[in-house]
Amino acid sequence: MTTLAAQSLGFVYPDGTTALDGVNLQVGSGESVGIIGQNGSGKSTLIRHFNGLLRATSGRVLIDGRDVTGRHVAELARSIAITFQNPDRQIFAGRIRSEVAFGPHNLGVRGTDLEARIAAALEAVGLSQRAAANPYDLGFSQRKLLALASVIAMQTPVVILDEPTTGQDARGIGRVREIIGGLVDGGRTVLVTSHDMRFVAETVARVIVLREGRVLLDGPPHEVYDEPAWPLLASTHLDPPWAARVGARLGMGSTPTEESLVAALAGRS
Amino acid sequence: MSLTLRSVAYRYAGSKRAVLEAVDLTVERGSVLGIVGANEAGKSTLCLVAAGLAPATIGGRLDGEVLIDGATSAAARPYELAQRCGILFQNPTTQLSGTTATVWEEVAFGPRNLGLLLEEIVERVGWALSLLDIAALAGRDPARLSGGQAQLVALASVLAMRPSYLVLDEPTSQLDPHGTQLAGEALARLAASSEVGILLVEHKTDLLESLAERVAVLSAGRVVAIGGASEVLHDERLDGWGVDPPSRVRLERAAQRAGVVLPAAVR
Amino acid sequence: MSLTGGVPDFVLPPPTGPYRRLNPTTKLLIAVAEALIAFGVRGWTGPLLVLAAVAASALRAGVGRSLLPFLVATIPLVASILLVNTFLYAGATDRIVVIGPLAPTWTGLSFAVQATLRVVAFAMSAAVLGLTTAPDELVADLERRGMGRRTAFVLGATVRSVPRIIERVREITEAQRARGLDTEGRIWRRVRGLVPLAGPLIFGALTDVEEQTMALEARGFSAPSRRAVIRALPDSTAQRGLRWALTAGTLVLLVGSITGLLGFVP
Repeated sequence: MTTLAAQSLGFVYPDGTTALDGVNLQVGSGESVGIIGQNGSGKSTLIRHFNGLLRATSGRVLIDGRDVTGRHVAELARSIAITFQNPDRQIFAGRIRSEVAFGPHNLGVRGTDLEARIAAALEAVGLSQRAAANPYDLGFSQRKLLALASVIAMQTPVVILDEPTTGQDARGIGRVREIIGGLVDGGRTVLVTSHDMRFVAETVARVIVLREGRVLLDGPPHEVYDEPAWPLLASTHLDPPWAARVGARLGMGSTPTEESLVAALAGRS
Repeated sequence: MSLTLRSVAYRYAGSKRAVLEAVDLTVERGSVLGIVGANEAGKSTLCLVAAGLAPATIGGRLDGEVLIDGATSAAARPYELAQRCGILFQNPTTQLSGTTATVWEEVAFGPRNLGLLLEEIVERVGWALSLLDIAALAGRDPARLSGGQAQLVALASVLAMRPSYLVLDEPTSQLDPHGTQLAGEALARLAASSEVGILLVEHKTDLLESLAERVAVLSAGRVVAIGGASEVLHDERLDGWGVDPPSRVRLERAAQRAGVVLPAAVR
Repeated sequence: MSLTGGVPDFVLPPPTGPYRRLNPTTKLLIAVAEALIAFGVRGWTGPLLVLAAVAASALRAGVGRSLLPFLVATIPLVASILLVNTFLYAGATDRIVVIGPLAPTWTGLSFAVQATLRVVAFAMSAAVLGLTTAPDELVADLERRGMGRRTAFVLGATVRSVPRIIERVREITEAQRARGLDTEGRIWRRVRGLVPLAGPLIFGALTDVEEQTMALEARGFSAPSRRAVIRALPDSTAQRGLRWALTAGTLVLLVGSITGLLGFVP
């Protein structure tokens, strides 16, 4: 079943700028997808169409085969939860567990079910010990993880993470990768936007590259970061991950991750 | 001639916890010192202390000494400090004044505040814009620039104060890859062609390796390693300190673990 | 880059066109005088005088048509003034007509129309100022005349901060709606959403203040010296004379009206 679909999706802002220009894509249940592109390529605009924050000016968006037209954002939030780049634009509760409770509470979850969800979400992001603390006692990295927890607790079939790696340190990025892995293992569909090529190569099974509102490339990392695709990436000022460049230089074939590069070298020797 | 922190300890106002402790660092004129560390290790605080904003503008308690070219920062006023050491933050938009219609006026904002004559202002703006190769942006509205461009404008505005030292707190973290590239090139140009001493905090150790001669590692408010860039960035303890080593170093370690020998071309 | 005195021409370009090219302080003073006369002078003369002046400036500057939306914006206020005063003017006995409990009076109507004219005159005067004077040029000119840099900053930043605040509110609303906050459904549900919307906004504002302060200090904002004038906008003896005459004239009218010496004013 195709969980998300965009059909000739177009979006023009009121001031006339075209942000999306005929985007066609389908995401199946349980996929992990990375969306990359420069600022202004349409990444942020695209994901906002999936939960109804923005409405298509041409084409359509389908969730589980149903058109999103006419469906409120609050209703679509049952299927698609999105967490945005800046946690400080959403954190408002006095206690961490209350912040995590907000999402599921809006969806009508109560009582022991709610408590269980909060506990599970805090566990997943490593904040179980701080449940009663004030969110602003946490540093920026952990506030980002808190924002992530609040969305995990909604237990939606689809989770979209907008720039979860920006402003994160190495440990934080590792934690995000684990979380995404956990969500996918649990059968959820995950979309993530990021500027970190290495993170994307190591985390998702499919990469979509956007440029000026259109899909430029769409495939697994070993295709999108392979040498034949480099000119297209360069056309939008993107570099393939370092491991891919080294692998190509050494004639190892497509090695988008360090792991695959080492494996290729081991295979050769 | 250097920016020196000697036995520096710092507490934020109203807090008992020392965010920085026993910090000893030196940034020479014309060189770049890189700073790495996990988030909340105290890197941003270090930047504020080095530039003098802490405690002069935000309060808090500073123990130890911050010396810029031999002069202590302790008694100096914020506007005097601004001319000795400039600072650039992560967020490109919030550090712009928000009151100017063009990039030219934005870069002129600092020199104007100092009460300089118009000729001097004109000269400094021209110098800063051309040093960073953004003269073409002079007529643009600062509010309508891309993140990378806005960051360069903010950098030009700080340089127009003609500081001897510059502190950069993760200048590329909020930028897209193209913006990071622009900023990286501008910093390289700056390091090569001016005598400004630079303290650069960055997570992107690949970028740092190409720009910094020396690197210091901050962990829980203390300097736990300091030395030549290659040496420090090869340190085995980086992972434990929450720092991602440069790509080449990571690859070497991964190859070692897999028992694979890396071809000379990569090493 | 084409320069004048080293400063690029796109920096604070002097405004062109009739009325617009007047010095910004002159235009401001005209608006202030008009506002004072519209509300401070008894009888019909005050508002009618101002309306005539506003019409003349608007025609000269070519902004006549642009005033329409502003005129329309005053309709709700004007409508309530007219209704309240016509029907409920205390002590009036000259009824126009009696419909059940309703008894509109001529005195009430007359007062209502006069009050309406005052409001409209003031609104149109402010609109003409807004349409012919860029905030940047006004702030720059006032600073040249001695206004402090902090006031200049607050004025300049306030104008430009509106889009930023709007953007911030949008970001917060999106993040909360994405977590299921209902902003499209029943009203009582929407009211409950105020805390998750206001919380991040207020906290963000406080954080901003700190960041903004640091950014300003890092650019020497608190240095004690006078700031150089980047570009002096044109002024003239004639305009100086006009400003003095305007100030004096407004004072005379106001004093005359308050003390009742202007008996001839209907």
